Amino acid sequence: MSQQLMSLETASTAIASGRKLILAGDEQALNRLPKGSWIAGTIPYFITNEQGGLSTREQVFATDITDIATSLEIKAYDQNSLSHVYSDGPDNGFSFILIPAMSKAHLSFALNAPNYKDFGTVPLIGWIAGVHLDDLGKRTPKVYNGQTGEFLEEGALVLSATLPPGKAAEIGIVNLFEQGEGDTLTFPETGFATKDVLVNGERRNFAAYLVKNRLDTKLPLVADYYGALVNISFQGIDEADGEVKFYAPVFTGIRYKHARPVPDYAAQFTGKLCSACNIQPANLVFSCNCILNYLYSELEGKKTEPFSGPATFGEIAYQLLNQTLVYLEVHEI
Amino acid sequence: MSLPAKSSKQWQDVVTGKKAYELKFLAAKILLGRLTRSLSENPSPDNVKAGIDQLYDVYAKNSHIPSVQDDLKTIFG
Repeated sequence: MSQQLMSLETASTAIASGRKLILAGDEQALNRLPKGSWIAGTIPYFITNEQGGLSTREQVFATDITDIATSLEIKAYDQNSLSHVYSDGPDNGFSFILIPAMSKAHLSFALNAPNYKDFGTVPLIGWIAGVHLDDLGKRTPKVYNGQTGEFLEEGALVLSATLPPGKAAEIGIVNLFEQGEGDTLTFPETGFATKDVLVNGERRNFAAYLVKNRLDTKLPLVADYYGALVNISFQGIDEADGEVKFYAPVFTGIRYKHARPVPDYAAQFTGKLCSACNIQPANLVFSCNCILNYLYSELEGKKTEPFSGPATFGEIAYQLLNQTLVYLEVHEI
Repeated sequence: MSLPAKSSKQWQDVVTGKKAYELKFLAAKILLGRLTRSLSENPSPDNVKAGIDQLYDVYAKNSHIPSVQDDLKTIFG
């Protein structure tokens, strides 16, 4: 088991020798790889154990699951068939999902995954593919099926990995943020954007509320799911239209609070990594972090050991998450 | 430990939020975050049964995972 940044030459050699890989990289790099047992999503931002956070279009980040997966299957879904993603999962193993940002599948998964049949019955982890921030609006995020050499801009790719007897996969998250002491916010409709919010039950315009209260939109909304804290990150405020946009949907019936302020984002994030999870580095198979944490924590050049991986446009741990580190462990049982 | 039957009262207490536990298994926590709120608004017998079925399935299909075993001990003793 290993996660590491590697040259295209090294990656090509690993693929040719039959390694089973989950890759992340810029599309120009991924386009140059040979066919083989791999899937990939586009993103050029990474956090490595050697150099810390960095951006590169020349190398790819590889998660090698050859030694833990007895078999794997790669399957493409569209926004409708994606509802079978839990039911289709392996009996003992995990499913790894990659979805291009802003695709129909991304929107559909974000809104509907919690209601998919058999939700939570199979460990489902993955991330949302993106682009270099300089390429926003110029290039589209893509996901690659290495077995066929094809890529998708719409839809999702899922790698189902079967583990040998005596092994078990488990997903965890690390969230820097906690609910603040402020108002309880609920939303009249589920969606990626809203004009209205119920502030302690009173209907208000959400954009005006955020501006009037000078709330820092680098801090997400935080919901408490039976002790698991789930963030919704702000994409922007349109004061003229009175609309607020998010990077993940808010859901009706869920109570949100604006996150407690974080005085030293980078230091606190590093501290949380050390204290929040009691994992054995040898069990760690995969992790990824949010591009917003990469930017707001100024993680370029900084390490987040034992975690490394791509910095993504969204994280998936059973459902879409924001500003969260997600990780996959494989235990001996 | 093996999975207690769906008829065990503890399943109902968990999904309705009557009893709150500090659980470890992430999938169960995310699911319960929704179920407890939904069932507090409409605790009809059919809804409670559907909620128990969902939670039971999540634990049953992951019963080999260490955090699931820990949760079962927390809930059922």
